[in-house]
Amino acid sequence: MTDHRVSDHRVILHVDMDAFYVSVELRRRPDLSGQPVVVGGTGSRGVIAAASYEARRYGVRSAMPSTTARRLCPHAVFLPGDHALYATVSADVHEIFTTFTPLVEPLSLDEAFLDVSGGLRLHGPGTTIAHRIRDRVWEELQLRCSVGVAPNKFLAKLASVAAKPIATAEGVRDGQGVVEVLPENELLFLHPLPVQALWGVGPATLQRLQRLGVRTVADLAELDEPTLISSVGAAHGRHLYRLAWGLDDRPVEVDREMKSVGHEETFATDRHDHAELLRELVRLSDAVAARLRGHGVAARTLTLKVRFAGFETITRSVTVAGATSTSHAIVAAVEPLLVAIDPSPGVRLLGVSASNFTTQSQQLSLDDLLEDRLDDHHQWQLAEETIDAIRKRFGTAAIGPASAVGERGLRLVHRGAQQWGPDEPTHA
Amino acid sequence: MKFRCEREALAEALSTAGRAATGRTGALPVLSGLRLELVGDRLSITGTDLDLTIQLTLAVGGEGDGGVVLPARLAADIVRSMGAGKIEVAVEGDEVSIGGGRSQFSVRPLSFDDYPKLSTPTTSSVTLPAAAFGEALRQVVRAASTDEARPILTGVLLTAENGGLRMVATDSYRLAVRDIAEHQVLGADQKVLVPGRALSELQRLVGAGEELTMRLGDRDATFEVGDTRLSTRLIEGEFPNYRQLIPTSHPNTLTVEREPLLEAIRRVKILAKDATPVRLQMGGDTLRLTAITQDVGNASEELDATYEGTDLTVAFNPEYFASGVEACSSDSITLSTLDALKPAVVRGVGNDDYLYLLMPVRVP
Repeated sequence: MTDHRVSDHRVILHVDMDAFYVSVELRRRPDLSGQPVVVGGTGSRGVIAAASYEARRYGVRSAMPSTTARRLCPHAVFLPGDHALYATVSADVHEIFTTFTPLVEPLSLDEAFLDVSGGLRLHGPGTTIAHRIRDRVWEELQLRCSVGVAPNKFLAKLASVAAKPIATAEGVRDGQGVVEVLPENELLFLHPLPVQALWGVGPATLQRLQRLGVRTVADLAELDEPTLISSVGAAHGRHLYRLAWGLDDRPVEVDREMKSVGHEETFATDRHDHAELLRELVRLSDAVAARLRGHGVAARTLTLKVRFAGFETITRSVTVAGATSTSHAIVAAVEPLLVAIDPSPGVRLLGVSASNFTTQSQQLSLDDLLEDRLDDHHQWQLAEETIDAIRKRFGTAAIGPASAVGERGLRLVHRGAQQWGPDEPTHA
Repeated sequence: MKFRCEREALAEALSTAGRAATGRTGALPVLSGLRLELVGDRLSITGTDLDLTIQLTLAVGGEGDGGVVLPARLAADIVRSMGAGKIEVAVEGDEVSIGGGRSQFSVRPLSFDDYPKLSTPTTSSVTLPAAAFGEALRQVVRAASTDEARPILTGVLLTAENGGLRMVATDSYRLAVRDIAEHQVLGADQKVLVPGRALSELQRLVGAGEELTMRLGDRDATFEVGDTRLSTRLIEGEFPNYRQLIPTSHPNTLTVEREPLLEAIRRVKILAKDATPVRLQMGGDTLRLTAITQDVGNASEELDATYEGTDLTVAFNPEYFASGVEACSSDSITLSTLDALKPAVVRGVGNDDYLYLLMPVRVP
């Protein structure tokens, strides 16, 4: 007889890298090992992307403003992020995953779900696979990770949290590395957890649940579903109720469909006039268009995001007649939206995103005909494809829009370049 | 002031005039109302947003002349909800009662004095057959833009041409031109730009009458059909020079039956999601339509056709293409093309008075 568990239960792994960005940095700065190290935006508006466990002892957490982190742990070493390097290392980790199963769903650079149900006879039980992944990631990449093993994604993610190293004020304790939630122990593991552990319980929901006397997942599971629904809404209530009983049938999706492509930047100092913002718009559009072409798609809807100095944020969208993947066309469509906003209160952040994907096509217009520029869009398409080819061969910074050239040379927008906030402006 | 009339007639009148009233309560809240005025047994109902005005008169059983302004949406909803039969409307002090059968409503009116005084046009009038004008509107208004960012293109150009009237509209992707011969409505060099929105309202009204009376002023235009009068402010500005857009020669001409073509576009369009273009492959005695949507699927259909010219594939937005074919009133249409990037012209076979030009979609 074959192992029944192969067909009856899924075995899902959630692999979460331990302090990923910091650990990658430590590979090239071994001298910093054992010290509080923080990766993130170094500017006054920066946020923390990752903190070593030593820094976490002082209360430093990711997504915390850099200024707060400096106050909590003034002797920490602050490093600027190197997104391109993390992406490369992440791909190496992914490579190891795929030797165990083709069903890998990356959630971000430092975590992924793996469905290993089909590989149990070849590679052994889930925990064996988990340990082998940990060992190989350590041997080949000198990085640590924690792995949760469970019958579904939701429990696997909770299990990996339980496997993590623990930073307390006294010191850093090693985690278990691998934690398995067996199908028969699901509720034993899940029910004692605080209700905040459930995906979808934020501060607002938590407050509502607390009014119902819910503290733990067990309390939630004991509520009847209608009561829960009347408190938090139908869809959310049903979702939470299922999670409270450990039910989650979402599959591990290898290709999660890309729905939009966007870039945004927080400025080191607020922008107050349209000309400056337009230059930023061109830079952002260049990056968005390059990614669209890289994915072989064209977008019909373009969205401008503006955050003012007072943190008020607005978005404005436009849907074009054709479908575009050139920065020229993106700027042409979004510029009127930008001109229509009043930048005088100060603009802190500008973003451009493209969505509503379809195949490349361009509705020609009578204006194009009248102004004898029927071929313009096509020529821009060819020009920008040439830019792609040049960048592929000589590097991204080899060519870019003229308006992206500043005092410090060509400043291109690239993915993750400042996801943790802008660097301090340098003054000559 | 008090009057009685059939529910059907009043409901119809309120909703027609109500289309000119504003939905928003902006600077002049009274514009969200309808002005009712009773003189003898004639009730006139007016709605306006100051750009478009619709006024109609209705025969009622009147009792005491007077006027009142009712909230347009509310009044129409109330009257429409009543059962068939007589409706009685009475102004009693600060309230208006609307009653029918055993239902009774009492509504607070808006300020009668705040309602703008609208002038009656004095310019000379011309009379046109309503049906012919309505058909022309049907063919042309569809090409006008609804994008307020370019106000000029939201208008329909009315101009004199060869001793007749010409109507032109474009949204910059397509252009419709219709001539109505022998109706010299405008002076030789006179041209006016009438908002497309007003003309599509007019199109709904012309079915009701035999004759249409038109008065064109410097700033506004007034149309009368039966007991209904529609006035609109004209759009100021220079309409694009459309003549230079119309190609003088077309090497390729496709002739195909209109109804089967429309059905084929409708079917193929199922696979043309969003703005996905439909490709027309012309050559030999067939026309092949194809739509491909990545990751969804594709559709194709072949039609009998006659084609003179070199083999050619051209792509269009299916909505725009179908709209032009549908606008032609003859059994067959011709599609004249130059190449895949130049404007194509749709005409009805045997109908030289209508032309629909559309720009192709460039596909890789």
